Amino acid sequence: MTDSYIPRGQAASAENTAGRRTDLRSRGEPALWSLGGALALGIIMILGFLALVFSNGIATFIPKPIAVVTETGGQVTAGEPFRSESFRPTVEEVATLPPDWQARIKSAGGMVNRTLYRMGNFDVYGEDFRWVADYAVAKREFPANMVFVERMEWGPFIGTVKALTIDGNAQPFKSIEDPVFLQAHQQALDRADDIRDIERGRIGDINHRLENERLALRKVELAEGRTSAAYRDAQDRLNTLSVTLQRDYDALAAEVTKLREASARNTLTLAAVGGEEKTIEFAALVRIYPANDLGFWGKVGVYLSRWGEFLGGEPREANTEGGVFPAIFGTAAMTLLMVLVVAPFGVITALYLREYAKQGRLVSFVRISVNNLAGVPSIVYGVFGLGFFAYVLGGSIDALFYPERLPSPTFGTGGLLWSALTLALLTVPVVIVATEEALAAVPRSMREGSLACGASKWQTIKYIVLPRAMPGVMTGVILAMARGAGEVAPLMLVGVVKLAPELPIDGIFPFVHLERSFMHLGFHIFDVGFQSRNAEAGKPMVFVTTVLLIALVTIVNAAAIILRSRLKRRFAGSQF
Amino acid sequence: MKTARSVILADKVADWTIRIGGLGVIAAVFGIMLFLTLVVVPLFTGASVERSAVTAEPSGGARPLMDVIDEYKTISVSIDAVGAAHAFHIATGTALEMPAYDLGLSDGKALTAFARTLNGRDIAFGFSDGTLRLGSVKVGGSVINTADVPGDLRRLTDADATDGRAIFTTVSADQTRRVSVDIELGEPQQVAPAGTAIVAADYRMGGAAERPTVSLVSVDAAGVGRVSRTESKTNMLTGATTTSLTSSELPGLPTGVVVRNVLMTDKADQVYVVEAGGTVYRYDTRAFDAPVLAETTDLLPGDVTVGAIKFLIGEQSLVVAGSDGSVGVYFRLQIPEAKTADGYILTRAHTLAPHGAGVVAIDASQRGKMFLTADANGEIWLRHSTSEQVLLKLKPDGKVTYRALAFAPRENGVLAISDDNKVYTWDIAAPHPETTLGTIFGKVWYEGYPAPEYTWQSSSGTDAFEPKFSLVPLIFGTIKATLYSLLFAIPIALGAAIYTSEFVHPRVRAVVKPTMELMASLPSVVLGFIAALILAPIVETWLAAIVLAFVVIPTGLFLSAYLWQLLPAPLALRFGGVPKFVLIFVTITVFTYLAVLASPVFESVFFGGDLKAWANGTVGTSEPFTALMSFPFIFLVIFFSSKAFVGRTFGHLLRGADRTKAGLADFATWLAMVVLAGVISYALALVFVGLGVDPRGGIVDTYVQRNTLVVGFAMGFAVIPIIYTISEDALNTVPEHLRAASLACGATSWQTAVSVIMPTAMSGIFSAIMVGMGRAVGETMIVVMAAGNTPLMEWNIFNGLRALSANIAVELPEAVRDSTLYRMLFLAALTLFVITFIVNTFAEVVRQRFRKRTAQM
Repeated sequence: MTDSYIPRGQAASAENTAGRRTDLRSRGEPALWSLGGALALGIIMILGFLALVFSNGIATFIPKPIAVVTETGGQVTAGEPFRSESFRPTVEEVATLPPDWQARIKSAGGMVNRTLYRMGNFDVYGEDFRWVADYAVAKREFPANMVFVERMEWGPFIGTVKALTIDGNAQPFKSIEDPVFLQAHQQALDRADDIRDIERGRIGDINHRLENERLALRKVELAEGRTSAAYRDAQDRLNTLSVTLQRDYDALAAEVTKLREASARNTLTLAAVGGEEKTIEFAALVRIYPANDLGFWGKVGVYLSRWGEFLGGEPREANTEGGVFPAIFGTAAMTLLMVLVVAPFGVITALYLREYAKQGRLVSFVRISVNNLAGVPSIVYGVFGLGFFAYVLGGSIDALFYPERLPSPTFGTGGLLWSALTLALLTVPVVIVATEEALAAVPRSMREGSLACGASKWQTIKYIVLPRAMPGVMTGVILAMARGAGEVAPLMLVGVVKLAPELPIDGIFPFVHLERSFMHLGFHIFDVGFQSRNAEAGKPMVFVTTVLLIALVTIVNAAAIILRSRLKRRFAGSQF
Repeated sequence: MKTARSVILADKVADWTIRIGGLGVIAAVFGIMLFLTLVVVPLFTGASVERSAVTAEPSGGARPLMDVIDEYKTISVSIDAVGAAHAFHIATGTALEMPAYDLGLSDGKALTAFARTLNGRDIAFGFSDGTLRLGSVKVGGSVINTADVPGDLRRLTDADATDGRAIFTTVSADQTRRVSVDIELGEPQQVAPAGTAIVAADYRMGGAAERPTVSLVSVDAAGVGRVSRTESKTNMLTGATTTSLTSSELPGLPTGVVVRNVLMTDKADQVYVVEAGGTVYRYDTRAFDAPVLAETTDLLPGDVTVGAIKFLIGEQSLVVAGSDGSVGVYFRLQIPEAKTADGYILTRAHTLAPHGAGVVAIDASQRGKMFLTADANGEIWLRHSTSEQVLLKLKPDGKVTYRALAFAPRENGVLAISDDNKVYTWDIAAPHPETTLGTIFGKVWYEGYPAPEYTWQSSSGTDAFEPKFSLVPLIFGTIKATLYSLLFAIPIALGAAIYTSEFVHPRVRAVVKPTMELMASLPSVVLGFIAALILAPIVETWLAAIVLAFVVIPTGLFLSAYLWQLLPAPLALRFGGVPKFVLIFVTITVFTYLAVLASPVFESVFFGGDLKAWANGTVGTSEPFTALMSFPFIFLVIFFSSKAFVGRTFGHLLRGADRTKAGLADFATWLAMVVLAGVISYALALVFVGLGVDPRGGIVDTYVQRNTLVVGFAMGFAVIPIIYTISEDALNTVPEHLRAASLACGATSWQTAVSVIMPTAMSGIFSAIMVGMGRAVGETMIVVMAAGNTPLMEWNIFNGLRALSANIAVELPEAVRDSTLYRMLFLAALTLFVITFIVNTFAEVVRQRFRKRTAQM
């Protein structure tokens, strides 16, 4: 496109009003409106989609007021108004209503509004949600003493605080801002952290050492047989080690018991709106706030603290609550590992195709094929990854290096490495195509100039061609990252799990555990949305995760677009 | 001056690294296809013989009635015609001592009948005095510590040793497997009148562990058939067991019938009495004390007699082999027009390749639908019932007559004993007998199905299940999802691309294009989630409004366009850019709202008040909907024919009139055409419906929440940006001078777009559609989440589907490595790979042509 471009839509609009008129039909106005309608629909689709996802995702963590609804039948429900809709009550139901409601429903065409309340208290009521039709509402209040309690287990509790026990002594409950209460809560959380540290960290370490020694024994057994001296040595080592470790373990277990006991002495008694009481430990209390008595900054505080937990915490309640940190970590680790593989190989292949291979029919065939591989369904790569990487390669690695762990597979099943390699294969065409384009854009004269100055081919590529092509290469790599981060289908086959107890990178040698399964944001969405106890309860979480994933992919994509435009500008300046 | 060595070295290293790396990556990428093919190939390779051997049978003795081998192919146990059991080590033919038992045979009491279950474990002897004795043969292995193995063993092979009664096989350094034979016999039961010999019998065990029941069927020498049931009760206090026997006679057996065999099904609800000439008397024994003769049918033609007859596992398929070598598989099918007492008919479902000579023995697999047939010439054929294929033909040298035939429990060996007391053994491998090209891509008659069908049903809890591996429903699902999503996506994507490229200001284009492309960055798992959990309930609630919107929005746009034409020229010119585009948005919003408002009326007029019930076929008539469906086509026909016949004259007329009048005239013609099209299409609908054409049962039928409509919409998000971007690029690369020339000649931009730009860019647009199609074919997460995953073969837009990709994602994580299912899923992946590769290559070739063409212009 040149700069002397005439806006096309306007080109024929200068209607010749004098003399002969144009045929109205030649302007194709109805057709134009249809085409424009198609474009408008497309834009409405994308913007509507983003609005839907973002509005739901952003609003999820806003603390909502708690309504206490007394129904005409006498039933009392306390909960967050979740959503409203109009529905058609059955004829029998309508017949039981007072005449004024019957008239109202009739005038609304048989429809009436109802509201879904999120009641929490799953352990008390056995359900999370309850529909209350407008006609059934006798009284709706927002009492100031209602608290919203997020718990480690059983989901939220909605009710009032009844009593407080700190260190075994009953204390009067003043308010949630009461420093005594806050301090007790903080101490309880610290204790819970300590328990977790011991159980996960130190006891985990003991198990790990014991397992290592057991594997070492098995290795000796496989190598030398059961009757060998080495085997007996290893057996002795294992026995002595297990004795010491057992001692350590007992000590730690005692410590945990003590902490647990301390925890159990700090409790909070809550009462649901129906009067049912529930005593929970402070340690099981994630967050508590008076939902109807929260100022603006209070709301902001709860909102931000929820986001903080979401981004930095671990999932609870079958992933429907808590955080997604392991999923973020897994997604990032897998994508970075994928880039480590895909970038060099993609660039090398592009260099080969563009700079080394003899341009001919074969290379153009290869080029078309590589291009088409970008269109091969991702699930096919997943199948290949499972069959070849995990089973064939991983199986061989296990047989060669980890025979002592068989029959339980080490590399012979899905894991981080195989996922990264599978996605690398999936995205390598993207990098190849982008790099090739960037290489093609480097003027031939520059190469010739370099060669004429006596530089070798590699020196030319290294000092002249690659630096020029670098932005293009980067764009390709970033696009590959965006594609990789958003893919789920192949990962379901090669190593993503709904809950991974251990991160793929941690403090235990060798620090990066390529064979481990990991969590992934995309799979998290699939899992929570489709496989959780109550899809309705999981939906808010899915929306937030979706916002996070879209934001991630869009940011990465936007980076590529910006880089591409910069690249173009740079080339515009360097061409002569 | 010489070049520094390091430079030369670096150059060489780089040279080789890049060459090897580049070629390696290319090879790796092509290796995918190769690898998938390698995994798939064993599906079609049938079976192979790994080893065959002939040894001498040690016992000699009478004709064996049966032979069983254990799971590890260590011991063979046979029971001969005088009721004696013989066991030997298969590899060496060493005879083993058997536990002693006494059948109580004497001059007056001979063994006259014998029966066994499929696994050979439960046996029954019938005697000439009218008694039956049940028993069991257990050939089994248990793993023991090597340290516990007795010392004084006789070594048979490297791994096997014996103490004379059992075989000890070394498994690993510290583990040994002990395989031994156990025979138990129950008390005699008097089922036939004393002194009447029993000629055929069968039985099944049932009941609970504390109250076992045995169901028996027997035919005596007088030709009387009986079903009997024994029930054992253990007295809790005394611990004594009492057994009671009740019998009832089978009615309707002709006197003097020569019974070849009796068979009983697993739940003892069916009894088959097989006469030597192939006539089967099938009894319904659900009411055990009053059996009913349900059906009498002759399974073999003319004077052909039964060579062998046996149930396959699951006892639904009955293999009948004749003395002429024919082999057929029969099912009991419930057929509406059946004239039998219970409504079922024994139907020949599979006719298998016949032997050259009469069939003398059959043995069936204990874990699948494979079975062996041996003929009088000594050939043993390994067959599979579902796929109808002969997997192997085992032929010993010379003519051999077999007396017993056994199929190893793990389907990995065959043992046959000949009448010259030789034991023929074969080690075989038939890992995937159920798959042939025919079963994967053709119709297959499965057990219990009324007719051959395309079915995908890969797994179930029991061995008796017949796996159904037809890719056709999955390919159909993929095509259905692709087709409906393209029907939705192509108009929007192409319309948007043409409008963006030809009719908006570049500044608008700079905003609009990236916005549309943003759609491509939405991860498909997100699309699937929204489609299944948010969209599907909305669509279900507002179904009528959505169907109406497909009609109302285009109509609204047309209406607005005609109204726009009425605007005075200066105004139209002034607001022709962005304001007009904004007006399009407003139009869409307004008419969507109208569609929502009008949907109850629409539903009551077109669908009898309830769209879902209407789609089911329970309410309403189909004329209005048929008319609605044919309306766009009729309208287009009228539009183009009017353009062809009176277009020129009408154009001249319009030119002569002033703008507002011309606009009104144009508007009026459009209205007239709409009305005309409405009338014609309704008339046509009356004719069609009169002829019995009904869209219900075809493209609309029973409504399911996760359906193709939702999938098509969600998939639109994945496909639209691809088609849009590529075709917009294609339109944009049409050389500017063509456009300029056309405009300079006085063509309007619409005329330029239609007559100059689009024909030039057509190949590019076509390739855009192909690439979009490739994406739709392979899309996984959306179909996994939103399509319901039911492998159906119907075009109903309101029902779900199961696509190839979704099927892989759902089933592969559960599939055992190298199992048939695993390889079938690889075949599904290979199919996807090939489809998309062909589609994309085609698109790429077309696009390159297009580039060359535009470059030449």
